[in-house]
Amino acid sequence: MRWLKITLHEHDVLVVGSGLAGLRVAIQLAKDFDVAILTKVHPLRSHSVAAQGGINASLGTGDSWEQHAFDTVKGSDYLADQDVVEILAKEAPRAIIENERWGTAFSRTEDGKIAQRPFGGAMFPRTCYAADRTGHNLLHTTFEQALRVGVKFYNEWFVTSLVRDGDHVCGLTAFDISTGDVHSFAGKAVVIATGGFGRVYSHSTNAVINTGDGCALAFRIGAPLKDMEFIQFHPTTLFGSSILMSEGARGEGGYLVNALGERFMDKYAPEKMELAPRDIVARAIKTEINEGRGIDDQYIHLDLRHLGKDKILERLPGIREISIYFAGVDPIDEPIPIRPGQHYSMGGIHCDKNGMTPIEGLYAVGEAACMSVHGANRLGGNSLLETLVFGRIVGQRIAEYLPNAQRPSSTCVEDEAFKIRHKLQEWLLKDKGENPSEIREVMGETMDRLVGVFRKESDLKAALTMIRELKERFKNVFAGHSDKRFNYSLIRILELENMLDLAESIAMGALMRRESRGAHWRLDYPERDDENFLKHSLFTKVEDYVKTEIIPVNLGMFDVKERTY
Amino acid sequence: MKLRVARSREGGEITHYDLYKIETKKGMTVLDALFQIQDKMDPSLSFRYSCRGAVCGSCSMLINKEPRLACRTQLSEVQKEDMKLKIFPTLSDIPQGWNPEQEILIEPLPNMPILKDLVVDMSRFYDALVSMELWVDSIEGDEYHLQSIEERKKIERYVNCILCAICYGSCPVNAINQEYIGPAALAKAFRFSEDSRVTNSSRYIEAAKSAKGAPLCDLIMNCVKSCPKGVGPGGAIRQIKSR
Repeated sequence: MRWLKITLHEHDVLVVGSGLAGLRVAIQLAKDFDVAILTKVHPLRSHSVAAQGGINASLGTGDSWEQHAFDTVKGSDYLADQDVVEILAKEAPRAIIENERWGTAFSRTEDGKIAQRPFGGAMFPRTCYAADRTGHNLLHTTFEQALRVGVKFYNEWFVTSLVRDGDHVCGLTAFDISTGDVHSFAGKAVVIATGGFGRVYSHSTNAVINTGDGCALAFRIGAPLKDMEFIQFHPTTLFGSSILMSEGARGEGGYLVNALGERFMDKYAPEKMELAPRDIVARAIKTEINEGRGIDDQYIHLDLRHLGKDKILERLPGIREISIYFAGVDPIDEPIPIRPGQHYSMGGIHCDKNGMTPIEGLYAVGEAACMSVHGANRLGGNSLLETLVFGRIVGQRIAEYLPNAQRPSSTCVEDEAFKIRHKLQEWLLKDKGENPSEIREVMGETMDRLVGVFRKESDLKAALTMIRELKERFKNVFAGHSDKRFNYSLIRILELENMLDLAESIAMGALMRRESRGAHWRLDYPERDDENFLKHSLFTKVEDYVKTEIIPVNLGMFDVKERTY
Repeated sequence: MKLRVARSREGGEITHYDLYKIETKKGMTVLDALFQIQDKMDPSLSFRYSCRGAVCGSCSMLINKEPRLACRTQLSEVQKEDMKLKIFPTLSDIPQGWNPEQEILIEPLPNMPILKDLVVDMSRFYDALVSMELWVDSIEGDEYHLQSIEERKKIERYVNCILCAICYGSCPVNAINQEYIGPAALAKAFRFSEDSRVTNSSRYIEAAKSAKGAPLCDLIMNCVKSCPKGVGPGGAIRQIKSR
C-alpha cells in the first residue's frame, strides 16, 4: 500500500521554478542556507531559454540609468512603480557584469566590448545580446553556476499546493512526476518563480509549460494577484506556430510591410517606426490586418532581406533557423509571415520591490511576480534583466528573513499532502467526464478572440461568462487513464485548473479597467484616464469569489505625461 | 498519415508499438502529432516537451530511426530525411509490421534507460556536467572581460549546444559503453578550454581526457551528423585528443 505513506522533506527555502529568476534566488542563498528548487521540467528546459533579443543595461557612453528608468516608465504608460524601476535600471550593469564573468558569451563590438542593439521604446542602443539566443546563453550559464554552488534540485516535480499556517507560509505539496507519489515539503520561505501564463491564450509565443502554476497556487492561499489585465502581445510571432520572432530583428533594421508593400509604421509612430514599443506596434499590425491590408487577411511581413546575408547569419541566426524549419521561409530570400500573439504577463503575484507578498515567508520573482516594474507595457530586454536583478535582491531579503523565521510544523504540510493525494486519486479513478483538452482549447480560443489586442465590454463579458462556464465543466474533468508514472494527462489537468483561475482574473481586470493604457486597449474607452485608473488592480480570492481593489502607483521620479513615439 | 509509437508502461524496454492515425494539417510537426494523440486518442502516452521551438532540447527522440527534435521535424519532411548515420542495433532493428511508406516510426532516444514510453532517464547525461565541473570558476569582480569578435567566434558553435542529448543517443560508443561521458559534455569542456576569458583552461581538457572521456571516442561522427544545432561535438573531441 504505497499510497499510505507521505514523505516529508525539509529545507530552509523552497524555490518553485528553475528559470533565470528561480536559479538566481537559489544561487544567492545556497552558500548559507539549505535551498531547494522544485521544477516541473529539467532547469535547462525552462522558458527563459527561449528569450531571444537581449537584456538591457546602460553600459554605453552617453547612456545612464536615469535614461533607462525613464524609457521603462514611459514604456509602461506610467503604471510601473518608479521606485522598483529605479532599482532595475541602477542594478542592470551589475547583473550583466556578473553573468559575463560567469561565462555568458555576449556578442561583442570591434573593440571587444559587449555589443548593444537598439530595442523598442529605448532612446539608446542599450540591449546586450548573444546573437538572438540571449536567454539560452544566460540560462545555461546561470544553471552552471547553480550546479557549482550546490543548489539542491527536485527536477520533474509538480507543485500541487502551497500551505499556509495563519499569516505565514509553511511549505508546499508536490508530486514526483516519475512515480506519481505526493510528498510534503516544509520550508520557512517559499519563492514563486514559475514565470508567466501565456498558455491561457491559444496564440502565444510561450512554451507549452507556461501555465502560471505558481501564480494560481499563491492566489489560492490568499495572495493577491495584480494588474492581470495587462497582457503583452508581441508584434512579430511566426504565422502558424506563434513562435517568437525577436524584436532584435527590427532592432537590426527589419521592416514591417503590409500586403500593399507599404512600410506602414509611419502612420502609427512616425519617429520610432518599427522600434516603437510592442503595444503600439502590435496594434498597428492588427489594424492593418483588420482594415484589409494583411496578406490573405491574416498576417503581414517582417522583411529582413535588405540587411543582407552576412548580418542575418551573424546577428539573427536563430530567427533564420526558426523561419526555415517552422515556416519554410529563408529570410535571406523571402519576407517572414508574422502576426501579433500573446507574449508576456505584466501582471502576477502582488509583491513589493523585495518580492515580499502579504503572506509572511511567501516571495515572488520574475514574470510570476508583479512588483510592478513593467506597468502596462514591458519594454523588450527588461524581462531577462528583471529575473537577474530581482533574483539577487529577493535572495538577499530572504537571507535577512530566515534567522528570525518560524520553524514550520511538519503536520501542517502533511495534512495538506493527504488532501492533495485524495484529489489526484479521484481524478485518476474517474471513468468518464469532461475532456480537459477540449476545455483548454475553448479557453485559449476565447481569450484570443475576446480578451486580445483590442477589447470591448460586450466581448469581455462574454469571455467572463465562458471562462466561468468552463470552470464549472472543469469540476467534472477526468484524466482518462490511471497510470501514476509520467502521467502528463494529470499534469495538464492541474495546469488547466491553474490557468482557468488566471483567465478569470485577466477578464475581470480587463472589464474593470475602463480606459486604454499600454497593452490594455479598450475600443469603448480609447483614452487613458489617469484620474480614475492610474492605479494597480488587485485580485484576491475570498472563499469562493474574487475580491477586486485598486491601489496607488508609486510615482515620484518622473511626471506622468502623454505617451507618444 | 499514421504514427507507430513505441510503448513501455513500466519502463526498461519497448513492450509494443501503438498505431495512431493523425489528422494532418499544413506545417504540422511530429510534436504536434504527439499532442494530438495525447489530447484526442490516448492520454496515457508519455513524452517530454516544453518550448516547441527547437531551443529547449526536451523532445529528442528517434524518428524513423534517426534521432531528432520532435518539435522541429515536419511530418511532411520525415520520409525525405537521411542523416547517413553509422548503424548500431537500436538504429537497425526494425519493429515487426512497420510500413515505412505509410507510417512514421517514433521511439525513445537510444542509449539511455527507458522510464516510460518516450521518456528516458537522462541522469548519466546530466551527471557529467557535475562530475566534470563544467562551469566557470568565477572570481568576483567589478568589470566584465573584453573579448574580441574572433575570440568569441571560436566558442560560438559550442555555446549553441542546447544539451538535447541527440548526440548521446546517436553515438555507437554510448550504445555499448555506459561509462562513456558522451559527445555533448566533451564539447562543453572544450568550449570552456577555448574561451579567451577562462584562466584555468587546462582543467577542462584534463577532465575531457579522463578514462571515461575523449579516449573512448572512435571519431565515428554520428554526433556531427545528427546535431540539430550545428555544434559538431566530434570536431571538438578530435582536438581534445590531439592535446
